[in-house]
Amino acid sequence: MLKILIPSMFMLLTTWTSPFKQLWSTILMYSFLVATLSLTWLAMPTDTGWFYINNYMAYDPLSSPLLVLTCWLLPLMIIASQNHLAAEPENRQRTYISLLISLQIFLILAFSATEMIMFYVMFEATLIPTLIIITRWGNQMERLNAGTYFLFYTLAGSLPLLVALLIYHSSMGSLSYLSLTSLPLTCSNLYADKLWWMACLLAFLVKMPLYGVHLWLPKAHVEAPIAGSMVLAAVLLKLGGYGMMRIMIILDPLTKELSYPFIILALWGVIMTGSICLRQTDLKSLIAYSSVSHMGLVAAGILIQTPWGFTGALILMIAHGLTSSALFCLANTNYERTHSRTIILARGLQMVLPLMATWWFLASLANLALPPLPNLMGEIMIITSLFNWSFYTLILTGLGTLITASYSLYMFLLTQRGPIPHHLILLEPSHTREHLLLALHLLPLLLLIAKPELVWGWTA
Amino acid sequence: MCAWRRLHGSVRTLRGSLLRGCLSSTAATRRQPGRCGGLTLCQRLSTGGALRNDFFKDLEDQLAAMRKKAADALPGSSWMPFEINPNLPPETADIVIVGGGVVGWSIAYWLKQKERLPRGMRVLVVERDPSYSRASTVLSVGGIRQQFSLPENIYLSLASADFMRNINEHLSVMNEDPVDLQFNHSGYLFLASEEVAHIMEENYNTQRLAGAKVSLLSPQRVKENFPWINTEGVALASYGLENEGWFDPWSLLNAFRRKAISLGAIQCFGEVTDFKYTTHIRTTADEEQLETRRIKSVKVQMPNSMEYQPVECAIVVNAAGAYSGKLAEMLGIGRGPQDSIYGLPVPVEPRKRYVYVVHCPDGPGLDCPLLIDYSGVYFRREGLGGNYISGISPEEAEEPDTSNLEVDHQFFEDKVWPKLAHRVPAFEKLKVTSAWAGFYDYNTFDQNGIIGIHPLISNMYFATGFSGHGLQHSPAVGRAVAELILDGGFKTLNLKRMSFSRIFAQEPMLEQNIV
Repeated sequence: MLKILIPSMFMLLTTWTSPFKQLWSTILMYSFLVATLSLTWLAMPTDTGWFYINNYMAYDPLSSPLLVLTCWLLPLMIIASQNHLAAEPENRQRTYISLLISLQIFLILAFSATEMIMFYVMFEATLIPTLIIITRWGNQMERLNAGTYFLFYTLAGSLPLLVALLIYHSSMGSLSYLSLTSLPLTCSNLYADKLWWMACLLAFLVKMPLYGVHLWLPKAHVEAPIAGSMVLAAVLLKLGGYGMMRIMIILDPLTKELSYPFIILALWGVIMTGSICLRQTDLKSLIAYSSVSHMGLVAAGILIQTPWGFTGALILMIAHGLTSSALFCLANTNYERTHSRTIILARGLQMVLPLMATWWFLASLANLALPPLPNLMGEIMIITSLFNWSFYTLILTGLGTLITASYSLYMFLLTQRGPIPHHLILLEPSHTREHLLLALHLLPLLLLIAKPELVWGWTA
Repeated sequence: MCAWRRLHGSVRTLRGSLLRGCLSSTAATRRQPGRCGGLTLCQRLSTGGALRNDFFKDLEDQLAAMRKKAADALPGSSWMPFEINPNLPPETADIVIVGGGVVGWSIAYWLKQKERLPRGMRVLVVERDPSYSRASTVLSVGGIRQQFSLPENIYLSLASADFMRNINEHLSVMNEDPVDLQFNHSGYLFLASEEVAHIMEENYNTQRLAGAKVSLLSPQRVKENFPWINTEGVALASYGLENEGWFDPWSLLNAFRRKAISLGAIQCFGEVTDFKYTTHIRTTADEEQLETRRIKSVKVQMPNSMEYQPVECAIVVNAAGAYSGKLAEMLGIGRGPQDSIYGLPVPVEPRKRYVYVVHCPDGPGLDCPLLIDYSGVYFRREGLGGNYISGISPEEAEEPDTSNLEVDHQFFEDKVWPKLAHRVPAFEKLKVTSAWAGFYDYNTFDQNGIIGIHPLISNMYFATGFSGHGLQHSPAVGRAVAELILDGGFKTLNLKRMSFSRIFAQEPMLEQNIV
């Protein structure tokens, strides 16, 4: 554990002390090294439970896939940001990289926390670098609005969480994950307990996001620069899912009735945001709404509280992280060339950038949950466990799958196929860097087809 | 402050009522309305203002100002903590149309019309002249005809005439007045002499084939239909029966503008002074290096101010009319070595044309088409009061100076009136009531429009160089450019021949006119 965390912390030092000409390559190699080392987390011995290193940090089959995803994402973010930051002065480039690295440190600490309060503090701490990245390096004036929405939605959701955790701690004495399983809430029918249940979950539902409180996500994703969009889509949303999974243990008897409206809201959100995707004119906005759609399914899977639900949620989180991040990278390659995110102005690109069309194809197929990709695995497991809970959810989830397929194909066909407008004929050819970026996104996804046990999260 | 004054005032009236019986106010005190009259208890003997600021008065003032500021800052008011020029264009736009004339606004309208989802694209129209006092659109004579020799021009005019006949289907805005173009369908009448009659016949065949409703008339028929014409020297005449005439250009411009803005286009009054572009060097199939440019942002300068806004954009449309050549020069087109592709400028420059309004009570009357004589002179009826608009294209060697819009009245006396009077004897007695001048966006290469992308600038579309036909072709040209941008190619009318390739191949596409 520390062999990843300490190098990450020292990467901050490297950012500020390496010579400017070698800054990006140094940081890239360094972060790749850390990412490779982090793969050791996936190797879990056959006995179950936690692999803990010290009193404060531990990992288990639930958190290790997310940890590896976090560490894997940093080199990808570095590769993606290289182009648009090239024009900035030196110190700003170093600051940007430091923000990304500090985000990674907070995320590692968050996912490996053994105590809920530490998780909470790290959860909040990740907001700061993300806010700085969105509001300072975003492209449009609307980024100020986006930052405000992002910050205040999450804060408003998480303040009740702090109160709830403190209540729990004061009554039960400990918030350590290891002891949470044996300290469930004693069954009581007080209205205050229901509020407490809500307070525990609200922060994570806002972060996921759940359909009713999702407004911050399209804004934040669209206005953020590419690295911001990548980390938001790939990892920060999963913080919400992970937190929900952890805290479900203590919410036990109440969840049976209280989760009902949220499951329905999540499923309704899948359909609604999927339909919104079909009417989007901005490419990044389309991908952002598709994120909300997928995470709605994840939220429903977690609230169901069955092993298959949890597994499906975890696999879908990992797969969606890689896919969504890949789609944002593809949208960024478009944006860097045409300076516009409008879909109808960047059409027929297969004629001009055929190799990039391959990546678009793979990413779109992953988005629509094509077998045998892990996206499908996750979705199928969630849909099955929901069906087991109630037959009628099949209508919603089936419709949701249909709409997901239609907007993914719509996005692919609109951007790649069709007649190419004259102003795109002389587009800059794809860089090797961009191909590398997308290969590194999609390669893990393809490899996970072969060994999904790595991300199952089952402790058996 | 008000409370203090009120207090003061009430004291004054109180005192006044008390003292009216005792003392009369002196002239001195009457002159200063704030002062009390006479001597009483708390009387102020000073006749000037307060020497020092009263703390409470200032406090009242400041509190009132703070209250006003707080009330302004509430949602629903348009107060901003920092002043922003409302005319400033947005920082980013998808398509920037340089030139707010009828072609520019037509393109904006069609782009907004064809985007499949509302607010799908941000279209910005930048116009230099808020009053349109020098714009070619509003200074145009406003005629529309199908009597061209190139099929493209005929199709453009036919489509535009169809658009304008059904203009309220296209350009009406809810809750606003319908559009009235004052389209007079009086037709064009071309008169040809013996030498050019064969050209007229060929053109007539082309026009009929393209679907224009034109008829050929012999001089006798011309005399029968229009007795006020002197048919001496006329061998053949060509008369447009449908879809020809004249209309009000300002109404068309405003209709396009109003509809485009209602669909979400953004208008900005400013001048494009610079471009930021990236340069790419590619190797062609013949192993040559080609340097192309891609516009990244447009610098829009605010009128009469040092303020400017760089607008980041994906596509720029050059609909700048007479100044399109100058705009393209900002990107370096035409400033390279003379014999290379970089040295070929966009061949559009302003040419001044005079229009004279004459009054002739014994003139042709209401049944008067737009007559164009083989000598070059033309005239049409204006209104119903016996006024006519007339003009002639000057010789190549006598092109007037384009630095201003001053009218040369001698030109009328020397060049226009003799030919006019020869053709229509009634015009021997007329009075010039007014005149104006306007610029043609004259295509020095072949006097026909240029529609399409420049080979060296990857994302600049041109819709310019119409040399006097811009207004009548504007609806169809707007649709064509919108199809180019959004559909990747021409869909309704194939205007491929009007692209830049004819200029680079040095193959002019000339109209075979009789004038």
